[in-house]
Amino acid sequence: MSTRERALSAINKPAPYGPDIDLSKYRIDEPGVEEAGELDSTVLNAASRVGLESTGLAYVQSNERALYTAIAKALEKYSVLVLPTREALTRKPHARSLAWRLLDPASDKYTAHAYLYGGELGYFIYVPPGVKVPIPIYTCLAITTNNTIQFTHNIVYVDEGAEAHLVTGCAIPHGVKDGVHIGISEFYVSRSARLTFTMLHAWAEGLHVRPRTVVSVEEGGEYVSYYVTYSPVASIQTYPVAYLGRNTRAYLASIIASSGRGVYDIGSKAVLEGPGSSAESVSRVVARDESLVYTRAELEALESDTRGHIECLGLLISPSASISSIPVITSRKQGAVLSHEAAIGLIAERELDYLMSRGFTEEEAKAVLVRGFMNVDAPLPTSIRKQVDYILDLVAKHAVG
Amino acid sequence: MPLLELLGLSVCVDNKRIIEDTSLSLNSGEVHVVMGPNGSGKSTLLSAIMGLRNARVCGGSILFNGVDITNMPSYERAKLGIALAHQNPPEIKGVRLRDVANAMAKKYGCSDCTLLAKTLLVESFMNRSLFVGFSGGERKRTELFLVMLQDPKLAMLDEPDSGVDVESIEVIARVIESLRSRGTGVILVTHTGTITEKLSRIDKVHILIDGRIAYTGSPDVVLPVVFKFGFRKGLEVLSRGV
Repeated sequence: MSTRERALSAINKPAPYGPDIDLSKYRIDEPGVEEAGELDSTVLNAASRVGLESTGLAYVQSNERALYTAIAKALEKYSVLVLPTREALTRKPHARSLAWRLLDPASDKYTAHAYLYGGELGYFIYVPPGVKVPIPIYTCLAITTNNTIQFTHNIVYVDEGAEAHLVTGCAIPHGVKDGVHIGISEFYVSRSARLTFTMLHAWAEGLHVRPRTVVSVEEGGEYVSYYVTYSPVASIQTYPVAYLGRNTRAYLASIIASSGRGVYDIGSKAVLEGPGSSAESVSRVVARDESLVYTRAELEALESDTRGHIECLGLLISPSASISSIPVITSRKQGAVLSHEAAIGLIAERELDYLMSRGFTEEEAKAVLVRGFMNVDAPLPTSIRKQVDYILDLVAKHAVG
Repeated sequence: MPLLELLGLSVCVDNKRIIEDTSLSLNSGEVHVVMGPNGSGKSTLLSAIMGLRNARVCGGSILFNGVDITNMPSYERAKLGIALAHQNPPEIKGVRLRDVANAMAKKYGCSDCTLLAKTLLVESFMNRSLFVGFSGGERKRTELFLVMLQDPKLAMLDEPDSGVDVESIEVIARVIESLRSRGTGVILVTHTGTITEKLSRIDKVHILIDGRIAYTGSPDVVLPVVFKFGFRKGLEVLSRGV
């Protein structure tokens, strides 16, 4: 059976987790690629919600339009290639060899739709061997109209000994009410290479979001994922998987501030395939209103001399919100050391009382505590750390209403 | 007008009366020491003046600069100029000392924060989570640092000398002197009295026993007796006027 036939056979296949979405209710626009002129105000509005500035963006996708930018060209001086995936697949055989290699289009209806109807928009980024890109590579995926499905297929290849820091903001401007975002990401981290991937999400109450991500890390490589979502959403379901080779390391962090009546089913899995590999999966959830949050984290050790730890912490801000933490650790070889800890609670009265005695109102004190709760020691470069701090300040305010 | 007046104050914790019908008056620039055995209610008294929610006023009233603050929430009392250095502040994971200090500096205004941090030797742990893994001295100096950031009219220090090294006690004593010299009223709770030896001026010493102020006198009279005989026997000695 051809890949296309397999994808067609999966066109109605629900995902194992998250609410099932009837994709036939949404419009699929004709995909297109063009040179970015001035970005329109709706895209700028969306970008600003995740702290991105229009002048620094290497790739912008608005609905089903992929836009080249000047920064993408500027990155060429570091020999870094940033292209819309559609262009890369036409012009670069290497890109073709990487597409749909880590992710099976027949995984579920979302991957199948992306494969069949997505038009291969998204970004392709190639970092040559030994190149340590000194500036973060910013990309922005925005939905600016109602009732559409946005597809994006992102392929990143960080070659041997290279290093790159990628920041992707996915957002909609104020005013857009519903739609679907399906994001396919295939990341390759070669021998002794390093990739940090920071993803910032700001959606709206009617949006369904289905990112599908697989990462391959070769010997001595390191992958850091830092994910933040802080807006209301109809539903979001994601379960990225990282395959870790010999002596590799992965750090996977999710910061979730849920609200409204959204369903947030967010997890990650690390497969410790090579000896000496290690993974840390960290999540912080602050749930309010009637939101429903599932944090899934899984570590699977296939080799001895591997290590992994899961830490899932949750704070319930509203009585009608709900958090379920589902850690899974599986060892298939003696000598693997895996552990997990999970805790869900309320804001500690004593801490609140303490800060109020320092002059903070109850709301201010809660925001300080929530902000602190969301601090994790992710190994991110300083420039991105500052941006993340800015977003987390917003998240803390949003989380306590 | 006194800076602080407690009028027949009773304080309940979990519906149990811990402080009973206590009155006290303190003026700006005065240093009052409150001493007493473990469990006598010293921390509860300070908590009630600060307005912490676990210490409920169940009788009497608290006046600050003539304003009745008995039912005022703690953050409003803080804004009026009342500050408390907690005996056992909570460890707050993820919240850095720097974040809290910056937010407070914004709230209260602070022209010499850096110098203050240097004086109180807290610079090196500004980026650490608040009180997480702090030594006794670090904890006390940090509390004093945050109190100073509030630029208080009334500073209440709950056992700043317990569990700290000699160097920290010297630093803490210097800060108390500085507070007093700029007109801040100070209530100093001490169990051991160690810090009193480092202070150039103390206006009054109150002995608190079983939730009541059992004796108030000058430090020259009270302290030698307490150090020699302890609280209960010392109280007998003082009451006999010896």
